[in-house]
Amino acid sequence: MSSYTITIGTIIVIQAIAVCGLNVIVGYAGQISLGHAAFFGIGAYTAAMLSTKAGLSFWTALPLVIAIGGFIGFLLGLPSIRVREDFLAITTIGINFIVEAVFRYVPFFGGALGIGGIPRIVFFGERLKGMTFLLLCLVFLFLVLLVCWWLTRCWASLACYAVRDEESAASTMGISHVRFKLLAFVIGTSMAALAGSLYAHYMQFINAGDFSFPVSVGFLSMLVLGGMGTIWGPVIGTLILGVLPEIFRPLVDYRILFYTLLLLLMIRFQPGGLLGEESAMRRVLAPILRRGKA
Amino acid sequence: MTQPLLSVNGVSKYFGGLKAVDEVDFDVFPREILGILGPNGAGKTVLFNLISGIYQPTAGEVHFCGQRIDGLPPHLIAQRGMGRTFQIVKPFGSLTVLQNVLVARGVMRYGHLTKIWGPWGSKAEIREAMEVLDKVGLTELAQRKASLLPLGNLRRLEIARALIVGHTVLLLDESFSGLRHDEIGQLERLIRRIRDDGRTIILIEHNMRVTMGLCDRIVVLDHGRKIAEGAPKDIQQDEAVIEAYLGRKGISHAS
Ligand SMILES: Nc1ncnc2c1ncn2[C@@H]1O[C@H](COP(=O)(O)OP(=O)(O)O)[C@@H](O)[C@H]1O
Ligand SMILES: [Mg+2]
Repeated sequence: MSSYTITIGTIIVIQAIAVCGLNVIVGYAGQISLGHAAFFGIGAYTAAMLSTKAGLSFWTALPLVIAIGGFIGFLLGLPSIRVREDFLAITTIGINFIVEAVFRYVPFFGGALGIGGIPRIVFFGERLKGMTFLLLCLVFLFLVLLVCWWLTRCWASLACYAVRDEESAASTMGISHVRFKLLAFVIGTSMAALAGSLYAHYMQFINAGDFSFPVSVGFLSMLVLGGMGTIWGPVIGTLILGVLPEIFRPLVDYRILFYTLLLLLMIRFQPGGLLGEESAMRRVLAPILRRGKA
Repeated sequence: MTQPLLSVNGVSKYFGGLKAVDEVDFDVFPREILGILGPNGAGKTVLFNLISGIYQPTAGEVHFCGQRIDGLPPHLIAQRGMGRTFQIVKPFGSLTVLQNVLVARGVMRYGHLTKIWGPWGSKAEIREAMEVLDKVGLTELAQRKASLLPLGNLRRLEIARALIVGHTVLLLDESFSGLRHDEIGQLERLIRRIRDDGRTIILIEHNMRVTMGLCDRIVVLDHGRKIAEGAPKDIQQDEAVIEAYLGRKGISHAS
């Protein structure tokens, strides 16, 4: 594999982890979030600060990064999920702009210059780069998918779906909608923080612009394209939207326009996404899969 | 005299200038079937929303098992053993019928942060949920997506969920409406059986015959106020009731 392919692959895998987190919030718990990049950024900045200023290794910092990401998710989620659904979209956009502004203007976070000199990840004495780093990211993606899979099997997920479908009925069944929305928010933002940490150590240099609002729109487009609430949807969506601009170079300049168009088209014609239950792709694949089993 | 299980004291709910529920008082005793009667817009559903915590009363108090529950959020009231159905059915559409019941069954796992991460149905829980589905006659449809069911079946599903939550009191909001004639008979038998199992039932119902036949006692609302309370046969002869409800109906039939 060329180093170019490996670079694209690594970024896609890191983004897929973040989009899996977004899926827990949007797909499982039904809360629209247009500010996911903020939490991706919080993870990246926390990892960057802990390794450059506190001198912690990636591994010692990781639990902290995830915990801090989840905790900030909790703090910001607490007021957000109490607002009505349509306000939630606006609130999360607001969160994204504020977090980005804090990174950009507070000197403690490196200001406009960002943070550089983030060390590579060391694993058993080996400094990971290229293929080995990609493998590490794949392992993390696998673990995240495992968590997502379990989330669809446990009772908490039924509770989240119930709250998503009929909030007031769920509450009269003993389920606190605040608690389960918050739970999904915290899990989703911790996954974003994990992705952010990998991103920081991969790029070795980060900047507030890496976590701006268009990045959030990108994450949401990937999720909607792949299929909200499905397990593999985030991976497929990220893969397609990660590879397309590499094939059609002009797309890069019109990325945001393309994402927005795609979002609208998907919501209009295939709201369940490519892997959604009623999707065209499922219909095509179903007979093949069935034949495979027989 | 036994202690009331549920007591509603001077409860009011105003929406702006509209007095949807206006100083309503009544008690419900263990193992009773209490009917709430009244014309459309009388405030019956709002009253249920006040009891189950969806709305907070503007004034008055609600006590359940001797403890004050008005002001509590609905999930805490449910956890104390109050189950309810909705007049406008609210199934969890993306879940199967069985999962709809299992999620309601989770009220017993609740508060145990570790238990909520367990698989969504243990063998025992699934057995229990299937028993409830059997009671309401939905066994065959257990694996069906709730969003695909017709209204009659959704009404049964609402009751199944309420049954698992409401180990003490069930509030049934027009559970009979939209049912076929034979289904009405089945549901009447089911409600009697639930009561015989030791539960207390409050039901809102428009169908006179059903209400009169099923209920031990009836509370009649009109324009948010309680205008009568008593045994079915007394209610049938009550002047105010005939005026407000039966009378109006009689007149419309006559015309
Ligand atoms: N959330 C609300 N906001 C304003 N008015 C309401 C609300 N809910 C009910 N109402 C009004 O309260 C009155 C009683 O409604 P309801 O309890 O649903 O009647 P019913 O006895 O037919 O169940 C109606 O006039 C209705 O329009
Ligand atoms: Mg009503």
